[in-house]
Amino acid sequence: MAPNQPQQVTLSPAELSFLRSTLVQSPPIRFDHTKGPKDFRSMRAEYDVLPGANGSARIALEDGTEALVGVKAEVEKSQRRPSPDARGNTLSVAAGDAEMRDTDAENHGKGKGQNSWIETSVEIPGFRDDDPLPVFLASMLTESLLASGELKDRLYINSRFHWKLYIDILLLSPPLSYPLALLSMTTHLALLTSRLPALKSEKDEDPLFDDDWDAAVFLYPKNEGKSLFGAAEDKPPVIVLAMAVGPNIIFDPCMEELAVADAVLAVACANATSSSTRARIVSIRTIDPPSHLTPPGVPNSMNSATGGTVPASSADALTQRELLATSGVWTPPRGGMKRALISQVVKIVVEEGGVAEEVISALQAIELG
Amino acid sequence: MEYFSLKRSTATDKGGTNLSSKVYVRSTKSGKVQKIVRELYLRKDIPCSSNLCRACLDIAPVDFSQKTTPFVLSDTPAGSKDYPNGLYLVPDTNAFLTGMDLFEVETAFHDVIVLQTVLEEVKNRSLPLYHRLIALTKHENKRFYVFFNEFRQETHVPRESGETINDRNDRAVRRAVQWYNEHINQAVKARSKTQTRIPTVVMITDDRDCLRKARADNIPSSTLADFVFGLENADELLDMMSAAQDQREVRSKKTELFYSEHYTISKMMTGVKAGVLHQGIFNVSPYNYLEGSVHVPAFDKSLLILGRENGNRAVSGDVVVVEILPQDQWKAPSTKIIEEETLNKNDNPEVEDGENIVSEKERKALQEEVKRAHGQSTEGRPQPTARVVGIVKRNWRQYVGHIDRDSVRTTSKSSRQQQMVFLIPMDKRVPKIRIRTRQAGELLGQRVLATIDSWDRDSRYPMGHFVRSLGELESKGAETEALLLEWDVQYKPFPKTVLDCLPAEGHDWKVPASMDDPGWKGRKDLRDLVVCSIDPPGCVDIDDALHARQLPNGNFEVGVHIADVSHFVKPNNAMDKEASQRGTTVYLVDKRIDMLPMLLGTDLCSLKPYVERYAFSVIWEVTPDADIVNSHFTKSVIRSREAFSYEQAQIRIDDATQQDDLTAGMRTLLMLSKKLKQKRYDAGALNLASPEVKVQTESETSDPVDVQTKRLLDTNSLVEEFMLLANISVAAKNHSAFPQTALLRRHGAPPKTNFEELSNQLKVKKGLELRTDSSKALADSLDTCVQDGEPFFNTLVRIMATRCMMSAEYFCAGTQAYPEFRHYGLASEIYTHFTSPIRRYADLEAHRQLAAAIDYEPLDASLHSKAKLEGVCKNINVRHRNAQMAGRASIEYYVGQALKGKDITEDGFVMKVFSNGFVVFVPRFGIESLIRLRDLATPEPEAEFDGENYVLSVKGGVGREVELFQKVRVRITDQIEESTGKRKVKLTLV
Repeated sequence: MAPNQPQQVTLSPAELSFLRSTLVQSPPIRFDHTKGPKDFRSMRAEYDVLPGANGSARIALEDGTEALVGVKAEVEKSQRRPSPDARGNTLSVAAGDAEMRDTDAENHGKGKGQNSWIETSVEIPGFRDDDPLPVFLASMLTESLLASGELKDRLYINSRFHWKLYIDILLLSPPLSYPLALLSMTTHLALLTSRLPALKSEKDEDPLFDDDWDAAVFLYPKNEGKSLFGAAEDKPPVIVLAMAVGPNIIFDPCMEELAVADAVLAVACANATSSSTRARIVSIRTIDPPSHLTPPGVPNSMNSATGGTVPASSADALTQRELLATSGVWTPPRGGMKRALISQVVKIVVEEGGVAEEVISALQAIELG
Repeated sequence: MEYFSLKRSTATDKGGTNLSSKVYVRSTKSGKVQKIVRELYLRKDIPCSSNLCRACLDIAPVDFSQKTTPFVLSDTPAGSKDYPNGLYLVPDTNAFLTGMDLFEVETAFHDVIVLQTVLEEVKNRSLPLYHRLIALTKHENKRFYVFFNEFRQETHVPRESGETINDRNDRAVRRAVQWYNEHINQAVKARSKTQTRIPTVVMITDDRDCLRKARADNIPSSTLADFVFGLENADELLDMMSAAQDQREVRSKKTELFYSEHYTISKMMTGVKAGVLHQGIFNVSPYNYLEGSVHVPAFDKSLLILGRENGNRAVSGDVVVVEILPQDQWKAPSTKIIEEETLNKNDNPEVEDGENIVSEKERKALQEEVKRAHGQSTEGRPQPTARVVGIVKRNWRQYVGHIDRDSVRTTSKSSRQQQMVFLIPMDKRVPKIRIRTRQAGELLGQRVLATIDSWDRDSRYPMGHFVRSLGELESKGAETEALLLEWDVQYKPFPKTVLDCLPAEGHDWKVPASMDDPGWKGRKDLRDLVVCSIDPPGCVDIDDALHARQLPNGNFEVGVHIADVSHFVKPNNAMDKEASQRGTTVYLVDKRIDMLPMLLGTDLCSLKPYVERYAFSVIWEVTPDADIVNSHFTKSVIRSREAFSYEQAQIRIDDATQQDDLTAGMRTLLMLSKKLKQKRYDAGALNLASPEVKVQTESETSDPVDVQTKRLLDTNSLVEEFMLLANISVAAKNHSAFPQTALLRRHGAPPKTNFEELSNQLKVKKGLELRTDSSKALADSLDTCVQDGEPFFNTLVRIMATRCMMSAEYFCAGTQAYPEFRHYGLASEIYTHFTSPIRRYADLEAHRQLAAAIDYEPLDASLHSKAKLEGVCKNINVRHRNAQMAGRASIEYYVGQALKGKDITEDGFVMKVFSNGFVVFVPRFGIESLIRLRDLATPEPEAEFDGENYVLSVKGGVGREVELFQKVRVRITDQIEESTGKRKVKLTLV
């Protein structure tokens, strides 16, 4: 891979081997032994830190990584698209059609959002903005925000105008561990507290807004009176990192733990508004774990200094290592993940009281508290 | 883990906080929406500005000369019944919005504290009222003080969560009043232990909720009406409160709506942008108050707006948005005179029951119109009509008028009963205004100034309030003031700040004797030139002087010397600002309203004879054939040898015995001017005419004695030619020096359609052809428009042609392409005004630009800015037109007065024919008046109108035909209209 991976782990093969052996135990003993497999690292969070932005948040983790997110919204003119139903409209009776449109004010903007309405940029100290890491992180974050389709629909003002959302994500510290989850949570909190000026004009008029900022509406409106159907309010998606090591699944891995991961999954989840479960998966991606780049330990049998024989060819070396896989000598994992493990991850995330619900309600609590 | 917040904490340093912020949303013109955070730094050194307070005097900020601004509020403010110790007033926003006219009264409302919160709200609600409030705060005797309560720590009120902006602002006002009371209390105590007279600070508000809260907190408060009630002449003062609010309360139960609702701003703007709706200024026809027109950029011709309903509460002058009506409602413009007073004489202002937006009579009048439209072909082709759907900007001003006698129920002067009356504005295009007054009896027969406050959907006429009475109808003072107000002429004396800009020497100022004086720097000594001025008799503000002499090479040197006003009026001082506001001097028959203070206009700048004066000279070398060899511009010092009137100059030139240099020079000038004039006409300059008469007044009383048409002498055109030449030369010079910002004057070529009607009229009636493809063609064809034995016919056609043209306008060079610079009437490529800086602001600006162009002095920044110059041009264009209108109205009034009680028979010409009347122009008096059918005989005779041939055949006893351009004998009398008590010139056919 490209050279600009998150910082290389500086652990020796022996240390890696030890770390891995503790993590594959049942129950696993984590790097921070006080934490269970589903525990997240503690964090400090606050929102509305940038007075000039529509929404902002900042989260600092205990290991010193810290992220700041600002959300800015601008009114933009929508490109006129020849939509297939526009032709249908002209055929139908104009008056009836207009009425129809009025009645579905509930579904305002449903399905009308476009991907280009959200622009995310990630900045990480020491990286250029076209380096793979920031680009990759930005695209993953954008993907998760767009995947559910709800956020972009919220940006619809009328058929001629929409909000364009600029999400500026700034990592304030060097990327000690893989920062995706941190950035995602900070973004989540920023979006949750973002507000847009209240619209005063009607329908397809040029938008006109209330000049009172206090009247501005939340991008993700709060149901104050708890809606009748008990449907939870919509919230932005959040990405959690899950790592597989042996048969175990560990959430929110720290840098050292990642160094021995068999596979890493980025799971974007959002709270479900209707289904029986409390959360739903929006997208899943595997992430190339840094463990692939760790130096392998040299077993005695392959080390001439300890009486072994150095394999004659690299193919030979590979076969020998394969045989020694369970011997305790560190070999970088080959990657790949069992289906059963993935489904287990999904289950842990979405189940009632699962990780997703926990994370989302924890972030919600920050805002309320 | 160490952790600190990025947020600026407001909780930690509670109490000592001197920082606050204000968050709001700003929508920019380009459609951007921004969240704006403004930080507020709260301070403790904002003084209360009461002369009672010593503490504030110590902390008040000082300026560079270590002086504090003098305190405003009196230490012994006037008291009232309820507050005998005197009071300071703190009005809230609505008090200003409804009672601005009250606060401007000289006799009451002193010592007023204008809170910043209130000032800002007033600014947001109404810009004109804001400017008036600002003017009040600058008025020395009124003692209005702007207190920046939002910046003073003690009175700053942060907005609470869930609180509306209005509630917060009300709270801020209450807090400020509370603080002021405490503060004044302390101040008085600190001054002397024994003093008991402590003024109260009283909040004036009409908001019930706010009053209740104030009482709960023991804050002295009162409603505006209650407060006014306690004052002397409360009746008059109460009439001056805006009617907008109580009107709503009184009629809230009524639901009958006469007009359709206006669109929202955003809907209108969307429509205008999309080209579905159109924006323009609403103009009402002076002949037919039911017919309005809106010129919109999308079309050449104006859109018609017919009837009150389609006018939808727009008043002439408003910026409106209109929607085009379906084609079956298109209609020809009216050929009928419809006057409001005759149709709706019997409307009752008090009762609105059964009232329709279109009264039966109005409807009938419209129906007849429609019939006519259908029967017509070429001339009366149906035109697109439109209806007003919303009003972008109200341009309501103060209107002069009189109370409709028929609308007054009790005329008893002693009755203090409040009643609703109609005010009939002088301007016929403005609808009647409903006014609630307690002094109806006294106001009858007076010129009254009033404003419009509101026009609700459920009211047929706009609602307004009385401002003040100008005096008896027909009295010279009242009528003169009325026309100055109608044409928005600033006639108040110059304020002290302006007079402070005058040279300290006053009338003793002289051109410095020593040539080393800085005043001489860059100036040419032209005192030895034989210069003289030629002006109308009695002229004291002499702008221009001339000289001519033969050069050794046979050519002539000709000089135009213009008063060097820019030497005395420096850019951006108070005098310059006042002059740019006034824009021009206004000449009335008996009065001149100066642009610059007398000292400059009639003395220091004026190029009086026998004294040395600074001048700005344009000097040409011209061949005997009047071709210009070269031109030269310089600041100079001249000494005029003589100030002639046109007549004197003419006599002197004609007198062969006079052979001195001065007369020789004038003869040269006259000879050259004739050649110049011929050249101009050859190039296609128009010789236009407007009815000009001069009113002769008795010198003592300035009562009009006689009316004469102006006589034109050769010397008039002598001066005119050289002024034109100077203006053109300067325009070219300024434009080459400042291609973007030169201030120029253009006269657009009139669109062909403007002449359509006139040329059709000439063709039908006289078989003459009017060619309008160029100014040259027009000038030539105007020359051919003659009728044997009727010399005035040509003048009449010229007058009518003039009315078809566009008006000339000032503009900034950068805003137009070079071909657009053209002055159509003068047939000059480029033109500006340079020769009358004493009476026109444009000339003053041209002087400054020329001075910079010849490197005499650097150009002021304000003349570099295109945007600023455009603003100046816009203003002086309006002022210029208003000044002309005011002058004409003044002449009209005096002509009317001169004809008072007389009975004259004169020749007149028919200028316009309607289906129920016609307009006759009487050249002898320059009056133009309407003769209605019903004036010819009673009962109104039947008549047949042939629109295509412009003939009105009156039947019955009168039995005669009236046609366009016809010469008629008319009897001129004056008549007092019964309903109004107004004197009018009345024409009848003989």
